[in-house]
Order: sequence, then C-alpha cells, then structure tokens
Amino acid sequence: MQRRIFSWGMVLATLLLPSAAAAQEKAPTVIAVPQMATPENVATPAGDTGLIARYVADVISSDLRSSRELVVIGPANARVYGYPEATAPSFAQWRKTGAKTLVTGFVQARPDGRLTVACYLHDLAGGREIARKGFVVTPAEWRRAAHRCSDAVYARLAGRPGWFDTRIAYVAESGIKSARVKRIAMMDSDGISHRYVTAGDSTVLTPRLSPDGGHLAYVSFAGGQPHVRLAGLDGNQDRPLVPGNSMSFAPAFSADGKRILFSMATGGDTDIYATDADGGALQRLTATPGIDTAPSFSPDGSRIVFESDRSGTAQLYVMNADGSEPRRISFGGARYGSPAWSPDGEWIAFTRIAGDGLRIGVMSATGASERILTQGMQDEAPSWAASGRDLLFQRSEGGRTALNIVSIDGGPPRRIVTPQDGSDPDWSSPGS
Amino acid sequence: MRRTIISALILLTTSGGGTPAAAQALQAPYPRVGPGGQPPPPPTIEMVQADMVANSGSDLVYFAGSSHGLDAAAQATLTAQARWLRANSAVRARIEGHADERNPRDYALAVGERRATAVRDFLVLQGVPAAQLTIISWGKERPAVEGSSEMALALNRRVKIELMR
Repeated sequence: MQRRIFSWGMVLATLLLPSAAAAQEKAPTVIAVPQMATPENVATPAGDTGLIARYVADVISSDLRSSRELVVIGPANARVYGYPEATAPSFAQWRKTGAKTLVTGFVQARPDGRLTVACYLHDLAGGREIARKGFVVTPAEWRRAAHRCSDAVYARLAGRPGWFDTRIAYVAESGIKSARVKRIAMMDSDGISHRYVTAGDSTVLTPRLSPDGGHLAYVSFAGGQPHVRLAGLDGNQDRPLVPGNSMSFAPAFSADGKRILFSMATGGDTDIYATDADGGALQRLTATPGIDTAPSFSPDGSRIVFESDRSGTAQLYVMNADGSEPRRISFGGARYGSPAWSPDGEWIAFTRIAGDGLRIGVMSATGASERILTQGMQDEAPSWAASGRDLLFQRSEGGRTALNIVSIDGGPPRRIVTPQDGSDPDWSSPGS
Repeated sequence: MRRTIISALILLTTSGGGTPAAAQALQAPYPRVGPGGQPPPPPTIEMVQADMVANSGSDLVYFAGSSHGLDAAAQATLTAQARWLRANSAVRARIEGHADERNPRDYALAVGERRATAVRDFLVLQGVPAAQLTIISWGKERPAVEGSSEMALALNRRVKIELMR
C-alpha cells in the first residue's frame, strides 16, 4: 500500500514537472530502519536505554515514511542486531531485504546521566557508511535526537534539508466566529509536545518563530489596538516590538533573525517597516499610498516580497531590502496575498484570490511558472517546510479551519490533526 | 426612575434630531437626586448606543469588495451619526473597521483600518471633534455573520460605531 501511494505520487510529480525535478528524483530508495542497539541496558528517567533505542528507530522510520519519498522497511519486521553491528553491519544480510540503504545506531547511558544517541547511514550496495550523527541529550530529549537522525538521513538521500526536528507555531481557535478565542500554540512537526503559548484572553494572530527558535513575534489585540509583540518562548520578556500606540501587524523575521519586517497603518495608509529585534534602527521601506503588507524576506536577506494594492488590486511585489526598486511579479488576472519566500530562494508561495475562492500556489521569484496547488474555497497563509518542498497552510470549510500540508510537486493536501481548529501556521527553521 | 430615562429616550426617538439628553445624563453631576430621593442610575452605554441608532438610523455602514468608498447610503447614515455625536460631545466613539474573509489576514487588517479612517475623516468633516473619535481595525477577526455566502460577506464588510464612556 505504501508503495502504491508512492508510485502514484511519483507519476503525478512526473506529469507536473517534466524537466528539472523529475530528472532529480530517482527511483524510490528503499531504506531499512531496524531497531537500534544499546551497549548495556541502563534505567533512565525516560525508560531503559534498550527501550529508548526501540523508540528512536520507531520515530526515524515514521519520519522517513512521512516524507513520502522513501520506502521504509522496519523496525517491526526487521532483524534485531547487537551493539557491535551498529557501526559494522552485515551488508550481505541486509542486502537480502531488498533495501538499498540502512540506518543503524545505538543509545548509550553516559556517566553524567545524559544519553548518547548515535546513528549511521549505510549504502548497502557499496558496503560503506555514508553519513553519521551523534547527539548528547537528556533522557527526556531522546525524541529530538531521533528527529535529528532523520534530518541527517533525509538530507544525505534527498540532497536538501530535513524538517523533522522542527516545530510548528499556529493559532488554536475555539468558540463562535463572532467571539472567537484564539491562542498561540506550538507542537513538534510530528504533532507531539503540543502546548499553548498564550492564554486566550486577547485575540492573537500570525505567530512567527525566530530562526534560532528562541522567540516568537505575533500580533495581539491586548489593549484594543492590534500590534506586533515579541516574546521569549520561555514565557518571558513579552513586549511590544515598537513603542507607541500605532496599529502594527504582519511580522516576519530575516533568515539570520536580526531584522523583523512588519506593517504599520496610519491614516488609512499601510506601509512596511523594518526594525532590529530589540526595536531599534526603525526603517520605513515603502511610502506609496495604499496598502503594503505581508512582507517576507528572501533567504539571503537581500530582497523582500510583499503584497500591495498600489495598482488598484492586491498584487505581489519584490523590492530590495532597503525598499528600493519595487517590481510587480504577479500577473495572473486575480488578487494575490500572503507571499512566503522559500528557504532555497527559488519559489514564492502565495494565496490567490479569485471568484472560485482562495487557493495556495507557487511562482518563481521572478513571477514565472505560476502553479496553483490546492482546490479549496478558503485556503490561505502558506508557510514553507525547511525542505522547500512542502507548504503548510490553513483550509476553512464547513465552518471549521484546519492546518494542511501540500507538496509543491503535486498531490492532495494532508490534514494535520490539532486539538482545536488551527490557523496562521508557521514552520520553524531546521535545528532551531 | 429607570422609567424616566427610558421615556426620555423614547421622547428622543420620536422627536428625532440629536437631542443632547443622553449627553446631559452623562454629564449631570453625580449623585443626582430623583423624585423618590434616590439617585437615578446613569444610562448604560447600551442605552446611549440605542439612542444614537434611533436617531441616525444605524451604527453600521457597509462597503463593497476591499474598498473604503462611502456610498450614498453610508454618507446619509454618517451625516446623521455626526449630528448625534456633535450633540453628545461627552460620548466618545470607537470606529471599528472590518473586512470579509475573502482577504488574507494581514490585508484584512489594513482594509479595516482604511475603512475606519474613511469613516473618521467623514465624521470630522461633518464637524465631529477628532478627539472624540478613536479607530481600530478588527480585520476579519469579528465577522457579524457566519458563513461564506455573498450576503454574509457583504454584511461583514462594515464599520461599526461603538460608543464608549
């Protein structure tokens, strides 16, 4: 079944992307992820190391399966190996499973109470190790170490960053629409470790994680006027981004986390500003009449894509980081909004607004090759996965709003399960 | 005593035109002494709001698409609201702008601000002191009507005048 879904996805990808991507995508790699070993079974607060070794392999196999780019064998029906084989597997035996690659590893208790989690990726045909990673973590952090192993394996096999050790910030919604309660929530990208960051006493919007994962910029209606706030994820230092009573919104971090873009509205005119994360060095970047909002930095920080209705309807524009040389890039005969620059710099994801609804699409950073990826009536707010291949977005239908993932290579969206309705997703940078 | 104020409000309603009764009630020194020797309760803000609605037809104006243009109906309503606000200068008004769900979230906030500003500017041109007015945008966060029908969207593209003490 796994294989059938995969082939179907490949066919679709091939149809949609005849040139570059199809040439890159080779036949699906079959990868074996057997249960990991431990040199000595030692009790830890998170369970015995032997048990954790099993869990780690479970998480890695689940991560790699969810990529839908790899066919995974194990750990359930794969041979169990001993500690010495973690670094020196019996290649001949593993080749018989039909796998092309193999992930081994071990979990070892350290004298200081922490764990060493090590993982190795082997090329079975060549009979050699092609990647290795080791992490020293507290027993409670074993899951994070497993996700980092998955990232290393995926990066080596797919040639682009993994996104398994990432977090998703979003707005959890409850209650009737006219008195909606909104709280910022966070979870790991596999849905584990779900937690609420704000209390729900004020309406909050558009959480954005800093690239180092330590801070959150968001919009709050606390005090009446919507304004951008910056908060430490430990719950400390929650403060307005810029002083004063002005109405500000649409925060976006630069890739290095040093600058924050946002919009400020005064007298019916909304413009884009940049500031340092400490609120200093405020710089106005647009000055045209009308609405300029939803800014997003290019990954190298040199350019900004944003939404403006200076032409009469909302369209996408790219300008230099200092605000110079704005140039319209959307010409698809519709309205466009909420642009997001991909981590590899190639693509701009957006919401397209036409008579048939709001839909998610991508175009190249020059505005070429526009493609629509979703078919809902109310799909909006795209956010990139670190891989640059998947987009997280919100879909509203039948009065409910949920987070979904869609691949830019095509295929139907997959819904992300959250405890309540979810909107305004933001996918963190890898390893943050 | 409550009855006295309500009948005053009814009187206002029937007489039409911005009688400053509500404002007088707000401005009157407190405690006031009523016929029974008891201080009358001040009118609630809901009663004051109802008085403005009764006198100016509505506390809402509506917009097309993502625009902030005030059509003839909106201008007529706002002209009447301005008259009421001038007559009740002790009442402060918060102008709340809203957009429909067919706008991305950030753009909706900007559209709401632009609509609220258009309404404030019109009221100021009609002689309402700017200091009496504040504006806020709710973007698409507080729809008046649930659903995605054209009718629902039209009813959500609005500015509401919310009176405050």
